[in-house]
Amino acid sequence: MSILEGEVFDVFARKERGDALQHIGYVDAPDIDLARVYAWKTYDELNWFEMCVVPRSAIVPVNRTDGPFAGNALGRPVVGGAR
Amino acid sequence: MFTEDEIKQKVHDGYMVESVEEMTEGYRKSLIVQLTVQADTELISAPAYWRAARHAPSTNTQVSAHAIIQDELAHANIAYRLLEDLGVSKEELVYGRDPHKFKHPYGFDQPLDNWAELVVANGFFDRAGITLLSDVYANTSYGPLKRALVKVDMEETFHLRHGEVWMRRLAKHGGEARAMLQRAVDWMFPMTLEWFGLPDEMKRHSGQLDYKLKGLTNDQLRQVWMKSTVPLCESLGLEAPAHWSEESQSYELDYPFPCHYDAEAKHWDFDGGEIPWEQVFDRWKARGPMNEWYVESVRRSRNEVVGWLENAPAA
Repeated sequence: MSILEGEVFDVFARKERGDALQHIGYVDAPDIDLARVYAWKTYDELNWFEMCVVPRSAIVPVNRTDGPFAGNALGRPVVGGAR
Repeated sequence: MFTEDEIKQKVHDGYMVESVEEMTEGYRKSLIVQLTVQADTELISAPAYWRAARHAPSTNTQVSAHAIIQDELAHANIAYRLLEDLGVSKEELVYGRDPHKFKHPYGFDQPLDNWAELVVANGFFDRAGITLLSDVYANTSYGPLKRALVKVDMEETFHLRHGEVWMRRLAKHGGEARAMLQRAVDWMFPMTLEWFGLPDEMKRHSGQLDYKLKGLTNDQLRQVWMKSTVPLCESLGLEAPAHWSEESQSYELDYPFPCHYDAEAKHWDFDGGEIPWEQVFDRWKARGPMNEWYVESVRRSRNEVVGWLENAPAA
């Protein structure tokens, strides 16, 4: 990825108090500060009660060995079983 | 790992594909083509609408026109990110390709030259976008795409409302406002119908249907679009070259399809009769008059700024 975009950040949000925090999308950004701005501006379809961004590299899968986070397991063994 | 036949069967039984590791080569390739068309269409609609937004008649309309552009760019970003997760480089797609290689429809290579054309684009082109993407949303077997489309559908509906509300306003006013609106409808109605592609009777096998990346055929999607658009035009007293047929229980076109288009004059040659689809493909392949300008306008300052950043001393 280019110097303008850096890495992937996953975006989580909940619409109302009492709602679950859900994965709603992702942005490419060179750092966490721009990721926060890009996430707020990109996912402006609802007036969220709460929104957070997480660097994708920090999301470590527990039971799966595939998908976008698989590379973050760094050889850790699979816990539980995948369906 | 599934075979091609196994994955086709599984997705039709309701299986959702969640990762690239589960895909067959055929599935992945079909999905990449679908997402590239989707991403390019969202991306190029932005400079097309941006150039047209200069014709917005007030600060309020400037705001709504630019809000739509903001949405389209966000949708493009989301689709390109989905492609990155399939191992395709967004960098290469957006900044490395020849403008002629972009996969957005020919309709988005045309200049939108006044406010009437921009609102009809919202009313017709964005309706086509919703028609195609709601079908994908309802039917796709790819989980990440289905989730991404929740936001996209919500926002495209706003674009459509903007288009329809303004079309109604211009139509009601009569006089030059209505005349400009009718002129826009005259070239944009057939343009949108052509966008849905080859008729089913000529369409070779569709991987996107086999892998359940969409649910409806080209002709079915064209009918869905007309089902909303023809009554809209009729209710506004606008002429549109299609009508409901009781006999066939479907919308029928009142002009030869496909036919020749003069991009310079924005004129469909209905009198020239039906032409072979090969001629349409040649026109699409040559791209429309604004192709390079639109692609360049999303790239313009990139290299300059990347140059500043890459040459800056490390902090």
